[in-house]
Amino acid sequence: MATEKIVQPGDVTQRVGVEVIRARGVDVDKLIKMLVANAAAEFASTYYYYTILRMNLAGHEDYKEICEDARLEDRAHWELIVPRIYELGGHLPNDLKEFHDQAGCRAAKLPDPPTAVNILTLLLESERCAIRSWSAVCDITFGKDPRTYDLAARILNEEIEHEAWFIELLAQERDGKSIPSGHFRRGEPGEAPYSKNRGFYNP
Amino acid sequence: METPDGLRSFDCGEDEHIWDAAASHQITLPATCHQGRCLTCAGRLLAGSVDHDHADAYFAQDEEEDYILLCRAMPRSDLHIRTHQEWEMREHRIASGLPAPYA
Repeated sequence: MATEKIVQPGDVTQRVGVEVIRARGVDVDKLIKMLVANAAAEFASTYYYYTILRMNLAGHEDYKEICEDARLEDRAHWELIVPRIYELGGHLPNDLKEFHDQAGCRAAKLPDPPTAVNILTLLLESERCAIRSWSAVCDITFGKDPRTYDLAARILNEEIEHEAWFIELLAQERDGKSIPSGHFRRGEPGEAPYSKNRGFYNP
Repeated sequence: METPDGLRSFDCGEDEHIWDAAASHQITLPATCHQGRCLTCAGRLLAGSVDHDHADAYFAQDEEEDYILLCRAMPRSDLHIRTHQEWEMREHRIASGLPAPYA
């Protein structure tokens, strides 16, 4: 482990919470960029566009409900991770377009035609990008930065559930096949059991 | 393909993404989004030509500088590619005033 940079008593220009993870090998500048890109994907690539996707699932009330859970949980992910960006000494771009352009995942724009199959396919691939993006954060923080790792792992848990939901729905809608996700279990919409630290479904 | 581990050669179908073909030949390349957006998989085309299959963000300026996105690029000829160009491509994007995720 590298020597930790000494922060003098009363010094508010340095953060022990940053220096301890830097000393353990975390590239903090890179981590901040990853968190900004992932926050942008949660907020600008999914939450915003999932709102539109949900509006266009008329006649598929079950899909609308699941889309709503994913939409609100992605917003919860945004809320969960943004404070960590600032704790690490980073910040959000002071321009929404610049923030959108930082997103590491494709914007989930309404497909043409906006059929249930096309929307479910888009939702599935959006969740897959999120899984890859949060796994990358887990990879660089594991064993070095327990706070970021914990936040990223909570988000990753929910993204993996979202993928399973949309596999189940798309397989049934498109292929007439049953590929169970496990349980769709949420209480109120967007319950976010991991990222809001609520009880898991375990009857 | 020029990789940090040395030169590697493999076959890739014309409808196959180069990243996928590399993976099927046990060549692990960086990638995150697999949507042609995040630039993690960027490479430099040293010879040959490719098409990009629905890359989310690939610009004429990228093509002019021979940057390619291996997760969405498909071969149109024999190719010579330098891998692991994500940070070079992000610098190019910034210099060109184009989106550069993770930069």
